[in-house]
Amino acid sequence: MENIDHSIDLRKNLKNKKNLEKKESFNMKNAKKQITALLIDIFLWAYTFLVLYKIVYQKLILALRYPEFSWQQPLYALAAGVLMTILLFGVQNMSLGKAANGLYPDDPDRSWVSRPYAFFLYFLIALTFFAGLFISQVSLREFFSEQGMAGARRIFTALLTPNWGLLQEGLFAAIETIYMAFIATVIALPVAFIMSFFAARNLMIHGRLFFAIYNLTRFYLNMTRSIEPLIWAIIFSVWVGIGPFAGMLALCLHSVASLAKLYSEQIENINDGPVEAMTATGAHPIQVIWFGVVPQILLPFLSFTIYRWDINVRMATVIGLVGGGGIGTMLMQYQGLGKWNEVGLLVIIIAFIVWVMDYTSAKLREFMK
Amino acid sequence: MLTIAGLHKTYDNGVHALKGVDFAVKKGEFLVIIGLSGSGKSTLLRCINHLHDPSQGEVNFNGTNITHLKGSSLRRVRSQIGMIFQHFNLIPRKSVLTNVLTGSLSRVGIIPSIFGLYPQTEKDKALNYIKIVGLEGKELSRADNLSGGQQQRVAIARALMQNPQILLADEPVASLDPATSHSVMQYLKKVNEELGVTVICNLHFLSLVRQYAGRVIALKDGKIIYQGCPTEINEEWFQTIYGEDAVEVTIN
Repeated sequence: MENIDHSIDLRKNLKNKKNLEKKESFNMKNAKKQITALLIDIFLWAYTFLVLYKIVYQKLILALRYPEFSWQQPLYALAAGVLMTILLFGVQNMSLGKAANGLYPDDPDRSWVSRPYAFFLYFLIALTFFAGLFISQVSLREFFSEQGMAGARRIFTALLTPNWGLLQEGLFAAIETIYMAFIATVIALPVAFIMSFFAARNLMIHGRLFFAIYNLTRFYLNMTRSIEPLIWAIIFSVWVGIGPFAGMLALCLHSVASLAKLYSEQIENINDGPVEAMTATGAHPIQVIWFGVVPQILLPFLSFTIYRWDINVRMATVIGLVGGGGIGTMLMQYQGLGKWNEVGLLVIIIAFIVWVMDYTSAKLREFMK
Repeated sequence: MLTIAGLHKTYDNGVHALKGVDFAVKKGEFLVIIGLSGSGKSTLLRCINHLHDPSQGEVNFNGTNITHLKGSSLRRVRSQIGMIFQHFNLIPRKSVLTNVLTGSLSRVGIIPSIFGLYPQTEKDKALNYIKIVGLEGKELSRADNLSGGQQQRVAIARALMQNPQILLADEPVASLDPATSHSVMQYLKKVNEELGVTVICNLHFLSLVRQYAGRVIALKDGKIIYQGCPTEINEEWFQTIYGEDAVEVTIN
């Protein structure tokens, strides 16, 4: 009996200690949230002041065509933002950063208009919208101008009376594009498949070496993915010369990155049960992956791959514009010469291919579910 | 045949799931482990076949210390310890036969198993075990289309394919209805009595424990607080194990 009492005491002590630790870590988290909230507030207020000055004051009120810019302007805006944040950070329900970090008590019954910070948010969205209109130089006057309408009429008439004499040549170029996209997908497939296992967090967290490989793979994938295939096509057209090979390489590189990312996310979402069961039978790690992981990911992988081919065909036409070969390059040449009837035909061919690919890939993916 | 001494397990997130567990299992026993959710039952089973690595202490299997085994020697030990799970953990979209055959992976080489080239002897054995668990005629059905009880029987057949000396069962009936629970427990009993496989089983329902267990261990907060015969668990012990507010529920 004495023993049991003792152990109960001990447990109580442990519990107290744990609670203390919890409190400490909670405070740490809270402090981190407060700092994030502060930074968000400063940024948002600084942004507000800068936009108000540059767009509303200089463009709208002063109506300057080329307002002067100096680096002091954002600095002043930042100072104003800091000031505003200091003034309002402590006021209840005034800080958007605090709200975004969940530092205000949650009350589901309160209406969405009853909080001051919400109005600041709506104001910010409206402000950004107006700033966007000015920066992208949206102008209805240009759109409906006499001269513009005449140009549009000329080009649309030409596009709508395509030059069918170019059909054979255009089709050959289109075939080049489709095959280029297909080869890019097929070559990317096994590479992405193998890389996806190294990029799957749940398979790679065991052991430092594996984790290093995981980080390296992720880094490589993020890097190649963040550079658009259009830019890769420019690089490769210098490297291997203008033509479908350059386009294929560009598509391939990008496909590897995006397929590996999609695949590895699929692997990360698998049910761990079969993996555990296979491990428990004493199977070799390769067998564990083959039987525990692969059956769960095969169908989604196939579906992603077909979708990727579809995307690649569409991208291949764009890549052709910068020298990636195929119908895109042809389009670029006729556009440069201003031969709009020929361009019209090529546009029809491209639209047809995209429609067919879109339809087929949707049907195939539906069939596999 | 299995002795566990001073076993501790602390997870990476700081949870101390096992705090010094000692017990021994004799060949042919039907040992049941009971305790509240979170008392460390699942962790204990997973420490035996190293699905989790113990933090401290020893696991002895047939007289050899298997606590620090790695690689192929660990796989050899695992192959002698079968395991079934609460959620069956079968391979989706594969047939019953394929699922049962995966129990022989440790004997069949990597390349043949990947191409599905199992020796005829293994196939015959798989068919035999499918018959033993009463699923004759379902060999080529997709495993994930079977009912819960049938899926758990596939899992038992898969574990038997390993020729296990011990069968670990982690709450094998927790996601099944009462009638199916009894059927699965009876198959486990059959495996224990007719094939002589030692069974270590986590259970929630005391009524099942009284009916099937040879011996009982109760865990609370990662420690053993009761060891003995299932019929000796009286009201007082029940409240110590499950807490004072607990009320016993029976399933028939």
